[in-house]
Amino acid sequence: MAGPSHAHKEFGPVQYLLVWAVLLVLTAATVAVWKTHMSYGARITVALTIATAKAGLVALFFMHLWEHGGVNRLVMATSLLFVVLLIGLVLADNATRFQYANPPYSESWSEVPFRVVPPPMQDQSPPSIEAPAAPKRH
Amino acid sequence: MQAEAAGTPNLAHHFPSLEQQEHAARMGMWLFLSTEILLFTVLFTAYAVYRFLFPVGFEDASKLAHVAMGATNTVVLITSSLTVALAIYYARQGESRKTVALLAITIAFGAVFMVLKGFEYYHHFVEGQLPGKYYHFEGLQGPGVSMYFTLYFLMTGLHGIHVLIGMGVLAWVAARAARGDFSRSYSTPVELGGLYWHLVDLIWIFLFPLLYLL
Repeated sequence: MAGPSHAHKEFGPVQYLLVWAVLLVLTAATVAVWKTHMSYGARITVALTIATAKAGLVALFFMHLWEHGGVNRLVMATSLLFVVLLIGLVLADNATRFQYANPPYSESWSEVPFRVVPPPMQDQSPPSIEAPAAPKRH
Repeated sequence: MQAEAAGTPNLAHHFPSLEQQEHAARMGMWLFLSTEILLFTVLFTAYAVYRFLFPVGFEDASKLAHVAMGATNTVVLITSSLTVALAIYYARQGESRKTVALLAITIAFGAVFMVLKGFEYYHHFVEGQLPGKYYHFEGLQGPGVSMYFTLYFLMTGLHGIHVLIGMGVLAWVAARAARGDFSRSYSTPVELGGLYWHLVDLIWIFLFPLLYLL
């Protein structure tokens, strides 16, 4: 054991309040971005980036990885490696299948047979049924 | 070493010092938390696959989630993480009364979270926005929509169970703190219980954008 554990810098209430404030700002930012009309890919990227930043703050400061580090960081990093492997490889598998190996109507933006658009809140009129867009292929 | 062991009631006989005992306990907790992360990762993977396969269905279905309640719950959990972090800080300072008060506030935040979640579940049940074949909401039909709700209930349900367990763990830690079990030299259970609570917050930080916003 190298030295007493509490000898080096330890975070106090001021630092915790700062981290908390940043977390709240990031939460507001996620909701603000959601209200804009960015593209599908951009929204997913921004939302996941903000979530990862928030998770990093919680892990480093609230969960003391910044101060304690050492083998605990290694454990966390190892589990994150497996998170990336599992999600990454499974998605890569699905993305590289030939079309009919995936469930019917999947991966399609235009060939969905029918969609019922939810009526606005408090609107009692029956939901409108969109005519299916004509499949444009080949 | 022997003198220290004799004078410290919280030290198990197979550890040479309280400090080494604390390090070992902390690492054991991180190992457990990593298995928890991987447990949720399986569900996140299922979400990624079905979101990839049904982008339209998932985008439309997520509009049925109650963003205001989800956002409120995010703030509630983040604030409860703050109170737990402060509880650990004061436990290390030997200020047990502050620790007990902060842990009680944290448990109350957990209860607020569960009540809001209950309201959300109630609305989804009433509307027929249920998992798999039980989905019968007429306002939105289409491929992938019922799958969204299957994953919604699985992920928030498993997370909710973790919130309840976390509240139980923190209540036990608070009771011990109130009994005067912790001091400047020994507050490991407060820290480990807090780590579990932070993990619950960590999972929700990802669940909120994925299920409510995207």
